[in-house]
Amino acid sequence: MMNPDAVEENQEEGNILVWLTGLAFLAAMVAIFIYVPTERTEGVVQRVMYFHVPSAWLSFFAFFVVFISSILFLWKKEREWDIYAHASAEIGVIFCSLVLITGPIWARPIWGAWWVWDARLTSTLILWIIYVAYLMLRTQSDAGSMRARYAAVLGIVGFLNIPFIHFSVLWWRTFHPQPKVITNEGIGKGMDPAMLATLGISVCAFTLLYFLLMGVRVRQEKLKDEIDRLKREKIYSA
Amino acid sequence: MDNLGFLFAANVVVWGGIIYYVYTLKQRNRALEKDLELLKETLSKEG
Repeated sequence: MMNPDAVEENQEEGNILVWLTGLAFLAAMVAIFIYVPTERTEGVVQRVMYFHVPSAWLSFFAFFVVFISSILFLWKKEREWDIYAHASAEIGVIFCSLVLITGPIWARPIWGAWWVWDARLTSTLILWIIYVAYLMLRTQSDAGSMRARYAAVLGIVGFLNIPFIHFSVLWWRTFHPQPKVITNEGIGKGMDPAMLATLGISVCAFTLLYFLLMGVRVRQEKLKDEIDRLKREKIYSA
Repeated sequence: MDNLGFLFAANVVVWGGIIYYVYTLKQRNRALEKDLELLKETLSKEG
């Protein structure tokens, strides 16, 4: 059963997180549209990067949480880890979808094409398809069933695509630009300090949003479990 | 400033996506709370 004191404490923490996330997004918007200088070659459309890259970061981080939680679920067989994996996969898919939409919007004026089948774009699309399949599998799975285990295996296998996505621009000649933040020269050496700071603020805002959404989704899954438990009790007592 | 439309479109997609997802979460919350209340009511009547 849920402890009422713990629920109240969680709600307070949630409210602080809402305010922090709101302030971080406000700071990010000011930095993106007022503070940061316009890039010389790409012009104003380069500012899409401050949404595109943090969305990619958030989705990769979310899939990393799916990966770790799935391993822990298979190992410990605790429903808690299954809940974290499911919640994180859903958030990851949402933000991976935003990456796949904002990317072509940025690419069209720069490359002259909405989409090219290069290694980075194709592998990101495959990642999205894997985790959409994961969510479809989840809609048919009950807690503790074999399908939840299959989903965990898919969650682990899907994540193995992420290092491939990261290195794809280094291993092959692609349209997609090479990493600018983490390079062989160090972190952020290839970027203007104002651009790096803006990207940093935006990444922070998206990370806070991830934790906020995770909190809500995990609470929902636990509430669903509680309802299922009460329903089972009702059936058995009848 | 030629590509301002693309920047605007990307902005709309990101904010629209986030707001729509938060809206669906709120809807799900409402449905779950309603379900729980109904269940508690039924159980207290029976108990």
